[in-house]
Amino acid sequence: MATKTPEQINEDLLRPLSVVTPKYFLVLGFFLAVVIVAGAAFGHQVYAGLGVTGLNRPVYWAFYITNFVFWIGLSHAGTLISAILRLSNATWRRPVTRCAEVITVFSLSIGASFPLIHLGRPWLAFWLIPYPSERGIWPNIRSPLLWDFFAINTYLIGSVTFLLLPMLPDFALIRDRATGARKRIYRILALGWRGTPRQWHRLETAMHIMAIAIIPVAVSVHSIVSWDFAMAPVPMWHSTIFAPYFVAGAIFSGIAALIIAMAGLRKFLHLEEYLKPVHFENLGKLLLVMSLLWFYFVFSERLTGWYGNEKYEMSVFWVTQRGSFSPLFWTMVFCNFILPAPILAIKKLRTITGTVIASIGVVIGMWLERFLIIVPSLSHKYLPYSWGSYRPSVTEILITAGTFAAMAMLYMLFAKVVPIISVWELKGGEALEHEPSEAILATTEAGARAG
Amino acid sequence: MVIDVDRCTGCEACVVACHAENNIATTGDKQAAMGRATHWIRVERYYEGDFPDVKVKFMPVLCQQCDAAPCEPVCPTFASYHTQEGLNGQVYNRCIGTRYCANACPYNVRFFNFYNPAWDKPLNLQLNPDVSVREVGVMEKCTFCVQRIKAAEIKAQAEKRDVKDGEIQPACVQSCPTDAMVFGDLSDPNSRVSRMAASSRGTKLLDELGTRPKITYLQRESWNGDENA
Amino acid sequence: MASVDSIYGLFSDFRSADRGLKDLQAAGVRADKIVVMSPEPFEEYEFARADRKTPMPWIAAAGGLIGGVSGYLLAWYTQVAYPSRIMSGGMPLVSKWPSGIVTYELTMLGAILTTVITLLITARLLHWRFDIYDPEVSYGKILIGVVDPSTDMRSEFEQRLLGAGAEKIKGTGRFSTF
Repeated sequence: MATKTPEQINEDLLRPLSVVTPKYFLVLGFFLAVVIVAGAAFGHQVYAGLGVTGLNRPVYWAFYITNFVFWIGLSHAGTLISAILRLSNATWRRPVTRCAEVITVFSLSIGASFPLIHLGRPWLAFWLIPYPSERGIWPNIRSPLLWDFFAINTYLIGSVTFLLLPMLPDFALIRDRATGARKRIYRILALGWRGTPRQWHRLETAMHIMAIAIIPVAVSVHSIVSWDFAMAPVPMWHSTIFAPYFVAGAIFSGIAALIIAMAGLRKFLHLEEYLKPVHFENLGKLLLVMSLLWFYFVFSERLTGWYGNEKYEMSVFWVTQRGSFSPLFWTMVFCNFILPAPILAIKKLRTITGTVIASIGVVIGMWLERFLIIVPSLSHKYLPYSWGSYRPSVTEILITAGTFAAMAMLYMLFAKVVPIISVWELKGGEALEHEPSEAILATTEAGARAG
Repeated sequence: MVIDVDRCTGCEACVVACHAENNIATTGDKQAAMGRATHWIRVERYYEGDFPDVKVKFMPVLCQQCDAAPCEPVCPTFASYHTQEGLNGQVYNRCIGTRYCANACPYNVRFFNFYNPAWDKPLNLQLNPDVSVREVGVMEKCTFCVQRIKAAEIKAQAEKRDVKDGEIQPACVQSCPTDAMVFGDLSDPNSRVSRMAASSRGTKLLDELGTRPKITYLQRESWNGDENA
Repeated sequence: MASVDSIYGLFSDFRSADRGLKDLQAAGVRADKIVVMSPEPFEEYEFARADRKTPMPWIAAAGGLIGGVSGYLLAWYTQVAYPSRIMSGGMPLVSKWPSGIVTYELTMLGAILTTVITLLITARLLHWRFDIYDPEVSYGKILIGVVDPSTDMRSEFEQRLLGAGAEKIKGTGRFSTF
């Protein structure tokens, strides 16, 4: 592996910021078009009412809440990579941290928009904010949706800071190279970063504190999202396993999304020297662990349900496993476990292509899992006379597609404005790798001179 | 409230009366096929056995006004709350339409306005002025005809007396031809509803969930076929 | 624009930078008059060890505590503020567990926001006017220099820095070469 000089590293990582190809605009335009169509569909929904969706009684939550949980789950990518690997001193995480943190911020923003999309009267969503209103009424602290409000906002603020703070030295890097208007913008963004030891120490201490703080927040966010379901007396929802189940599933889908994003960046921004097969291998191993963990949770939940044989739960159980939802259920098991586990376990198959295939399967499987948690239970509640079914409408499909396009679009825009690999962290990592022996030489030299 | 299932003929006069009293729109056949029909009280039909030994059971199901209602703590804006008198109130103006309450309700008695309700002319002239018309995006459910309860209480207060037992009759109770439904004050041990609720034929719907519903169903056979009396 | 006088050398690797620092210290320059800037954090070397102590973790913990108390007060107040004391679902008026969740979230938020504000203040960010800075730092050079040196010591410092391996000597203020 040839070591690159700092200048070469700068060149490679900053090139995307100045080079824009027509293909980029074409792809960006396509995603933007999908987002605009989805926005129009949402506008129509606000005007006409939620009747344009496929929702009915008793299935009052379906696609939108599936997407909500899915996108919030995806946001755990950044937390895992940045925070946990940072705290465990895993140096291979250095090129990967910013890609992951960006996924977190954008998918969290998209996920947080779904409570607005699914409301019957979204223009009144501000009533969830505890403000002293003119009528003297406050929101209900007992409601899990309100815990969502606090948790998601805390996580959003935390993730944005976690993303922005390490960008300061890179903004300084761009500031010193840019000219004209760009220089002014980046100068403001760099917030007066100079690189003194004081600043470095403060930044690293702050990142350390943030890493310690953001992990419990991430765990709590997805636990609280799971409690949106677990707190209601619906068969197969009211289970204590939901909180750890969802957190594990979130990390699972987050790693998969990260692998896909990294593969895309590697190909389109020519970062083959930086996002190396070893990164995909390591993430692939983590993905394998999460796949096994996911299987363990699903197995525990289903075994205890089946063994308990409680009549309301069993109706939901069988309709998922053998009834009308079984094609989706078995697809989900295939995508989440049967496909990824062998690919990721066998070293020969754990290549970049292999991990990407496994990850695409996991993303599909996890979306299906969210759907299968929500809709079968709601359509088969306690009184059989009120059982129902659900079919998605065009509006819901368009809005779902729109969120995927929005994610891709935001990611593409970000990669053009900020270096997607953290330059200083990468160079710092290289320095640590190559110079430790030199440190001994330096001290002995100084010692010899002084003595 | 007490509902005598053995007396219920399944005529659904209660359903029609509820529609008329509470300004419930008919959603139309296409919407009903999707599962969006709104009936604050519905009569569930259960058939047992084959012809000629068919037995039919009719069960009017409406909001049970649970004492430990699962729909109440999950509403983020307090649109679903417990009144001082023990009813489960629904504040249409406060509802932002998260539909969590409907998911939490084990009886599926909560309904959502998927579209703005509309009445073909001249039916729009027969709306009850005592009951608000709900707009799109708002949850609604049976209120035990709270407008009638309030009217009787105000009248009794004006006349400086207590509300008499049997004076308040929700629309469904009033219209039942077999007198299968009885409404009254459960906190008064001498009221007709309290005496009937203590009957050995009485069961509560989905009692095992711990919702503490207020409606007692009287029937000779309970759900699993055991004799009640 | 610089109103501060300084002389500094630009080094291309940390070994020579370390030598340069030690030479300056040997020449009797006080620690608070030495200025160091680097493109990466170099924890192992003497020159990067200045200004390590920070009360930031304690401040963050204090921020978290304030957040937690506000969270609990918010949860408590919003339930008791209703004139009619709204009950729901048979739960008590100020329910422990839901209040606990809101308290926890605001604790974490308090810790996070306090950390950010402390960073911005103690790292002296939000100061866009630089007294001493050289863009070569972000190009990969390490800057070691003396702030406000006396004019007669100028050649001494230049010699020491060049001897340690500096590629260039520059200055600001009255030592500015531009």
